[in-house]
Amino acid sequence: MRVHSRARTAVIALGAVAVLVLVCFVSVMVGNKNIPPGEVWEAVLGRGDAYATVVVESRYPRTVLGLLVGAGLAVAGVLMQAVTRNPLAEPGLMGINTGAAASVVAASAFLGASGQMQLLLWALPGALLAGAFVHLLGGRGAGASPARLVLGGAVLTAVLSAFIQAVTLSSPRTFDSYRYWVVGALTGRNFEAVWTVLPLIAVGLVVALLLGRALDAMALGEDSAAALGASPARVRAVGLLTAVVLSAGATAAAGPIVFVGLAVPHLVRALVGIDMRRQVVFAALLGAVLLLLADVVGRVLVRPQELMVGVVTAFAGAPALLLAVRRMRATK
Amino acid sequence: MKSPRSAARAVRSRERPATRWALLRLGPSVVLRAQVRVLYVGAGLLLLLALACVATLTAGRLGIGLADLPSALAGNATGVDAFVIDRLRGPRLVVAVAAGAAFGLSGALFQSVTRNPLGSPDVIGIAPGAGAGAALVALLFPGSVPVALGALLGAVAAMGVVYVSTGTGFRNPTRFVIAGVAVSAMANAFIQYIVYAIERDQATVLSAYLNGSLTARSWEDAATIGVVLLLCVPPAVLLSRPLGMAEMGETTAAALGAPARRTYTWAIVLSVALSAGAVTAAGPIAFIALTAPQIARRITRGTGPHLALSALMGALLLVVADLAAQHAPVFEDLPVGIWTMAIGGAYLGYLLSREWRKGAL
Repeated sequence: MRVHSRARTAVIALGAVAVLVLVCFVSVMVGNKNIPPGEVWEAVLGRGDAYATVVVESRYPRTVLGLLVGAGLAVAGVLMQAVTRNPLAEPGLMGINTGAAASVVAASAFLGASGQMQLLLWALPGALLAGAFVHLLGGRGAGASPARLVLGGAVLTAVLSAFIQAVTLSSPRTFDSYRYWVVGALTGRNFEAVWTVLPLIAVGLVVALLLGRALDAMALGEDSAAALGASPARVRAVGLLTAVVLSAGATAAAGPIVFVGLAVPHLVRALVGIDMRRQVVFAALLGAVLLLLADVVGRVLVRPQELMVGVVTAFAGAPALLLAVRRMRATK
Repeated sequence: MKSPRSAARAVRSRERPATRWALLRLGPSVVLRAQVRVLYVGAGLLLLLALACVATLTAGRLGIGLADLPSALAGNATGVDAFVIDRLRGPRLVVAVAAGAAFGLSGALFQSVTRNPLGSPDVIGIAPGAGAGAALVALLFPGSVPVALGALLGAVAAMGVVYVSTGTGFRNPTRFVIAGVAVSAMANAFIQYIVYAIERDQATVLSAYLNGSLTARSWEDAATIGVVLLLCVPPAVLLSRPLGMAEMGETTAAALGAPARRTYTWAIVLSVALSAGAVTAAGPIAFIALTAPQIARRITRGTGPHLALSALMGALLLVVADLAAQHAPVFEDLPVGIWTMAIGGAYLGYLLSREWRKGAL
């Protein structure tokens, strides 16, 4: 284990925050209509001209939402990788996001649910069920290979997608809103969406921080953890539950987004080591940066149209996974 | 260490009498040797397939009466019956049989190369790749470039990416499975973007196609898949023996005059071509290629790739699934791919848990 000095960590933290602020700034600046940096600054301070202010302010909700979703997915990834001890654990690949999507679609098609708050509430049970499935697959000791979870997730995703397709194709109204939501997009969201997911993500982040010590103990092995006073079963259950809540919130806000929860934790461990509380903090920062960056890139690439953030993360994240496969040691 | 159950199974398999062979005399000079059980199973599958075909043509409100069916098939149908057989269900049935056979054959070839039930075109991401290629062509060059070409290029590209990124070819299931998941994720994200980007009416049609649909198939589709089958089946038949030898191990195969490496390359090329052709004609119908060879192998309990049986089984599965899709009570006329995805996904889950118990993955 490499030792990461406090000074070094502090520098990295400062750098991450600086990048985050910069990305936020770019996020309100860039879009279908670019606003020059000077005018953005004026508008942010409330002194800009009316047009620039309207444009800039219209980008606030998606920026804040991007921060929340990115942080939530990344921390969910950290938690899942720690709990399952599986480097490939991730809410997107495990099918948790698809679970949330399936129950949202079912609720809006059969029960007439609409509006952010209701859809959010409906995302939770689906994500929980999917999480329980993953728990059954991966919770049985450390013997599970990484491929096992990924494949289990792929199966779950396949069956749930079939269900989603069946429902959306039978109901054109649902299909129309779904095809837009499913790619994972931040456009067209208002602050109502932000206020709806904020509590979930905030609670999730706090619990993740509180769990840090116990998860560190778990990393030493279950017996050592028990000797140090942590109850492995309880820590695992709470950790997974938190991860599920975080990904349900993120999914309800922006649709199922893959690979953020996979890539960010690996990046974070390379930067600040394996201390769980540091991992959680930095994953939240970098996850937010990554998601906003993906959103900005999506806005720039195919102007005047937009590439949805979920498409960008898939194309950025899948090669990372392929690279990981190449570097995988030849295990069984 | 062996569990008592698998030990018992081993004993039982030793007690089983040696495979019985039958000789088929076709004329004075041609004699084919075949396993008796395989012949029985093949005949059974053919019978079931014929029944399913008859059911497809006769069932439902527009079905052709059973008594009129022979004359209708002979081309003497009139009125509604003519419409049903020429436009509505005729091409659909032919595409279902041919595409199902192509998927089954493709899966059998691929699985005998990877020596793993999970090594099927579905898991490798060929179907999403082909779908993405088709969608791209539909978006960029509507009408000018055939969608078939896009599907073929997409399938080849997806498989190329998986092949390159595993670093070890298709021999390590863990690797190619994860790489396949990654490639599928990319392809699916891309497909979803295109479905979002185009008009709503078009999106519904494309979305149905991308799930694998057999509604509104034309004789052109049937011709496409027919040509693919014509081109691919003869080499597949020739490859059957070398594949059986390759299963005995690379050294043995080489000693018998059929180097395993060359056999595998050909098998993968054929498998991709068959999959791409089937996807082009019927859309990326999920999991037929995965399940058909597995079920065929279970029924015959034999060794060898069983290409013919896998093809028959694929055709049967797809025709039955399409029959269900046409007449299912709640979800009317859903794309058949949704049914196969749901049922095949569950079967894949079962296969996975079995592989894990054996510790093979």
